Amino acid sequence: MSQTMQIGERETSLLGRLRLTIARRTEGRGIVLLVAVLAVVAFTEPLVFTSYQVSLGRIALIGLVALGLTAVILMGELDLSVASTLAVSGVVVALIPDIRLGILAALVVGILIGVVNAFFVAIVGINSFIATLGMLFALRGLAFVLSDEAPVKITDVDAGIAFGQPLIGPITPRVLIFILAFIAIQVFVSRVKAGREFFAVGGNRQAAYDAGIPVKRRIFTGFMISGFVAALAGVINTLERTAADPTAGSTVLLASFAAAIIGGNYLKGGRGSIVGTLIGATALGVLQVALTLSGVQVPVQQIFIGAILLLAVTTDPANLRAVLGSVRSLRLGRSKAQTPGSGS
Amino acid sequence: MRKSRIGLATAGLLAVAGLALAGCATADEPAATDSGSTDSSDSATTGGETYEVYALLPQGNDQPYGTTYLPPMEAKAAELGINLTITNSEYDGDKQASECEVAVAAQPDGIILWPALADTIRPCLEAANAAGIPVWITNADVNPEDAPLTYGYSGTDSYGQGAASAEMMCELVDGAEVGIIQINGLTGNSVATLRGNGFKETIAANCPNVTILAEQPGNWNKDESQIAASEMLTAVGVENVQGMYAADDSMIAGGIDALKARDLDPADFFITSIGNTFLGNPLVISGELDGTVFQSSSWDGENAVVGIYRAMTGDTSLGRDDDGSVLYMPNPKVTIDNATDPAVAPEW
Repeated sequence: MSQTMQIGERETSLLGRLRLTIARRTEGRGIVLLVAVLAVVAFTEPLVFTSYQVSLGRIALIGLVALGLTAVILMGELDLSVASTLAVSGVVVALIPDIRLGILAALVVGILIGVVNAFFVAIVGINSFIATLGMLFALRGLAFVLSDEAPVKITDVDAGIAFGQPLIGPITPRVLIFILAFIAIQVFVSRVKAGREFFAVGGNRQAAYDAGIPVKRRIFTGFMISGFVAALAGVINTLERTAADPTAGSTVLLASFAAAIIGGNYLKGGRGSIVGTLIGATALGVLQVALTLSGVQVPVQQIFIGAILLLAVTTDPANLRAVLGSVRSLRLGRSKAQTPGSGS
Repeated sequence: MRKSRIGLATAGLLAVAGLALAGCATADEPAATDSGSTDSSDSATTGGETYEVYALLPQGNDQPYGTTYLPPMEAKAAELGINLTITNSEYDGDKQASECEVAVAAQPDGIILWPALADTIRPCLEAANAAGIPVWITNADVNPEDAPLTYGYSGTDSYGQGAASAEMMCELVDGAEVGIIQINGLTGNSVATLRGNGFKETIAANCPNVTILAEQPGNWNKDESQIAASEMLTAVGVENVQGMYAADDSMIAGGIDALKARDLDPADFFITSIGNTFLGNPLVISGELDGTVFQSSSWDGENAVVGIYRAMTGDTSLGRDDDGSVLYMPNPKVTIDNATDPAVAPEW
């Protein structure tokens, strides 16, 4: 459920309520972009729609980390450490011979990383961009140290290969976990009081403090969700690939942010939705699979993703209002200058 | 305002559609373009069957080696009637695994795989085998336990290249007690690991009088290698260093620059590398680089296609039991004595 902290007069008519609901949604641009991508892909690479397993797998690959990231973005914070968290947790799960214990340890590591991030942001007061940038480098180094600078094979390779196989139809464990993570985070931010307060924290932090919302605790919760989900992605990657890669996640960070932004999440917080992130991840995932099938090289793929990101950002209502405002004031300024006698 | 929004949304939709169509058009352009994508069906000269092949590479036109690897590969594909679809995972193992899933779903006649990380490609090989798609490995071989899942390998003996560079170092020092620094490739990368191990183990076996004082990754990058070399020189003390090894010529060029930046003459040091590239060959001729190991990117690209063609036409079968299922690139040592020989003329 998309929410914004808006106070306005109550619309009672059906049309009015509908308009209000649409106005409150932030996924509009994401939906338009997704429809456009699907339309073009259906025309050029229809195989994308028949290879469900591949397409769903790619969406889950991009989307899982993006879901956790959205919890932080809703509060107006950033978590740049997700890619390194993914790498560290992947190495942890591979280093521990007991696979269950390894998974548990990796997920605990993810949560702890979230706690450390939140400590720097909420308690020390460091800007989240800087704090998590530091963590990005520190955790990357930790992944190299733990892995002795080389990929680490999991003990039970056959179990890893079995983990990557579909459970029902095209649904692999990765896709199932992604769906469950989506439902859990969506329910949390839309139905649970603590989750709904993320929007208040991101929308106006001072107002959130004044309203008695435990802002610091919410920041801790958000970063812990982000760390946990990134660690989950690291565990899945390691199991599916049968080895942990200390350099993993190099392309995850930007793709996750792209999915969240395309889905209509406002980087300054207060506006956005988990559904939007799902839409963004779907658009990106389908586009990437189609481009790979077409043999389009990475630089060209990056042009596509960049173009879509730019479209998503420039069509943001706030940005549009700013642009239109600038144009209007420019026009006003010109007309004043052209009025006889207005100059000195 | 509302009209503006609708207008912008429509424009956006059209822009995305236009870009996507333009991109797909780019994908269909022949190899001569920079798109890197290849559809060589029009230029197929065999007149016989046309094959669809996915080439899952970790680099492309974004790296000097890839830039000179691709054209001979595409030319040979056109000659043999092979439609190549080329991907570039940028050395991201997860991305390459995902590209492999896409390739298997597309049901091509064959897959050429240059592993980004040898330890992570087992599921890809299993999936391809389950789908009955032959896989030919290029440039960097898979782990020995995964070799039976492939139809063959063509490329360098990466371990042997490191060993060859070490042999040159041993000859140069001629029994003297020396300390050297080592610049490695990208950490975790299989070629980097194999070359590093080949060098270190050969040094330990052939000339234990050579001590590796420090090693750092240069990430196949000249600038990063200059920084890494400079830091190592400071850490171990310049006076203790008499030699330097790097896993490729770009990196040794950075290391040599680090020496020059300290007013040290590279000719006074024992320096070896791998590649004999456009960057490394002149350094050998000038005497700054004592020896390097020739690597042909054109041989590599061409033989990847030859290999998969052999697999698709039944000349080689699953496993590595057939003749010609392993094609090692000749890697002659290059010193000042043969650096101008046309047989080892640099290609990249």
